[in-house]
Amino acid sequence: MRLIRAVLSVAFRQSMTTMKPAGRGGPLMLFHIETGGCGGCGMELRALASAPYDLGGAGFGLAGTPAGADMLLVSGPLTRMMAPVLQAAWEAMPDPKGIICLGDCALDGGVFGENYATLGGLERHVTIDLRLPGCPPTPADVLAGLASLLGGGVQESMPRSDTGGSL
Amino acid sequence: MGAVDLIRAGEPTPSAWRFRLHELAWRDLVEALRTDPLPFCGLWCDGADMHALFILRDAPLAVTLVLEDGRYPALSPAREVSTLYERAAYDLYGAEAMWARDVRPLLDHEVWPCSTPLAGQPGVSEARTGLVAFQPSEKFVAATGPVDGWGPASGGVAPPWHVAFTQSGGVIGLAESQSGYAHRGLALRWRGSRAEEACRLSGRLVAGQSVAHQTALCMAVENACGHVVGEKASQARVALLEMERVLHHLYTLADMAERAQAPLVAAHCMMLRETMLEQISPVTGSRLLMDCCRPGGVHLPQAEQMGALCDSLARMGLAGHPALQELWDSFPGLAARLTGLGVTRTEDLARVGLEGPVARAAGQDCDTRRLLGLYDGLWRYTAGRQNGSAADRAQLLLDEIAESLTLLAKLAVHLGDAAPGRETLSLPDAEGMAMVEGPWGRVAYWVWLHQGRLAQVFCHNPAAAALLVFEEAIKGQPVEDLPLLACSLGVNAAALDG
Repeated sequence: MRLIRAVLSVAFRQSMTTMKPAGRGGPLMLFHIETGGCGGCGMELRALASAPYDLGGAGFGLAGTPAGADMLLVSGPLTRMMAPVLQAAWEAMPDPKGIICLGDCALDGGVFGENYATLGGLERHVTIDLRLPGCPPTPADVLAGLASLLGGGVQESMPRSDTGGSL
Repeated sequence: MGAVDLIRAGEPTPSAWRFRLHELAWRDLVEALRTDPLPFCGLWCDGADMHALFILRDAPLAVTLVLEDGRYPALSPAREVSTLYERAAYDLYGAEAMWARDVRPLLDHEVWPCSTPLAGQPGVSEARTGLVAFQPSEKFVAATGPVDGWGPASGGVAPPWHVAFTQSGGVIGLAESQSGYAHRGLALRWRGSRAEEACRLSGRLVAGQSVAHQTALCMAVENACGHVVGEKASQARVALLEMERVLHHLYTLADMAERAQAPLVAAHCMMLRETMLEQISPVTGSRLLMDCCRPGGVHLPQAEQMGALCDSLARMGLAGHPALQELWDSFPGLAARLTGLGVTRTEDLARVGLEGPVARAAGQDCDTRRLLGLYDGLWRYTAGRQNGSAADRAQLLLDEIAESLTLLAKLAVHLGDAAPGRETLSLPDAEGMAMVEGPWGRVAYWVWLHQGRLAQVFCHNPAAAALLVFEEAIKGQPVEDLPLLACSLGVNAAALDG
């Protein structure tokens, strides 16, 4: 565990400020929204946000409201009841913004493909900025994926900010 | 006549524990249940019949009624928790419960492309778009005080649901939940599925309780087949169930501690859990123990390591448990925050039939492990604090962690270096039922097999009863403690919505 913490600290913390987009201060804030799955991806996200992982040290934070978020982190298949909730959360986020899909269900529905209650995953409906496949992805997988987002530059991964974006 | 006699006076079915009643006898049963304490497990529809499941001295007792013009006499006047099942049956099948206590939509909030999607002929729907409005009961409408809400998108990690509540001075007066946000149509997905597919789905009904759901489903299928899995496979299942209980309880304690402003305690719980997961995931192939059970046995990438894993987890966990207990007891303000919070009353628990750790922490004597042959010679639980508050529930979870770890130590000896696997099943046209003790209480599955597939599946879990207990326990509590209380009572929208 100490090794993991040390690796995370060295890999992300020291270079975080240089990888963050110009004009931004503090961590990249994620607003998590579970759109109707089993909750497994949320559990792994919770694990990632706890010891021994170091989500905060890697340059990310979990926002309490969409208005305070940079990225929308979606897990679970999109139920028809949650679709307008997701849309409202997206519209409440300031620009620039983007979408991360956490787990197979959020991507393509996983085992919960489209039926009367669900719309399946998001990939058929919107442009996804970061894909984190798995059922569920492990905290290490999620962290590696998020780190690639910072490494690639957040600005480039938010292509729809000037169009207003729509779910 | 008592309820049991009324049920047994019905027409026998191929299953010795299920009887078919005519409508008048069903009405008599409802009347008898007003005074008879027979524990109620669940109610569901298959499109043609209504089925009610009871538990008599830890054994199933079921009753069936054919729908007359799509209607049946409601059980909710005698069993309040039946309200949730009746509302679901109406939303999914259009089965109308006469004299029901509550007829508000539970799952169908008119955003689906059709109504009654599981009925032989689904109906027409407005398929509305936009946010679903909260639909209060008459009692809620009549309540005084400003109305506030929480969820379905709170930024947390839990499955989505909504709670509306009245408040005065930051204290909750009356609370009502709105569900359906996490409904994925499990009943339809199970219908006509192969046993392995059904098992995979049941493992994803609610995360953190995957082993319980998969084991119960597998055992129900095996019971329908008249098949008994081998001793080592049974022991491996028990080991998986107890590992899941330990992991689940640590996660729940961490969640409670975090919400009670005790981050150090939360970190300690999650660290211990993560240390265990490092050992568990290579052997089971899944950190959340999904897909470890299959009909006919278990499916483990390193099955021969199960004995060693049980031994290692028990040693590590029991060595770390005293420190966790001491930290929990001594962390400044934690005990004071939880003591007296969300006290569950015995009559509320009995009224809705909630079992599991919530009931045990309130002095109820209930644990499905007591009756399972799987646990013969292994399980012995000694009751702890029983005052029914969040502090009591937390202490019970801590006690159960130690108990499960002790059980894993015993299983390590039994399992040795055996490699439990699975046997191939031949599925007849039959029905089967089975139950296990999941992390939050009894999980029961009832399956109908037809032409080598699962024709119908009914799942019972504690989520429905937990929701009703939550709505009672939240009264008079601070608004900011709502998520903490929901966590400590095991409210889970994924398990409820299905």
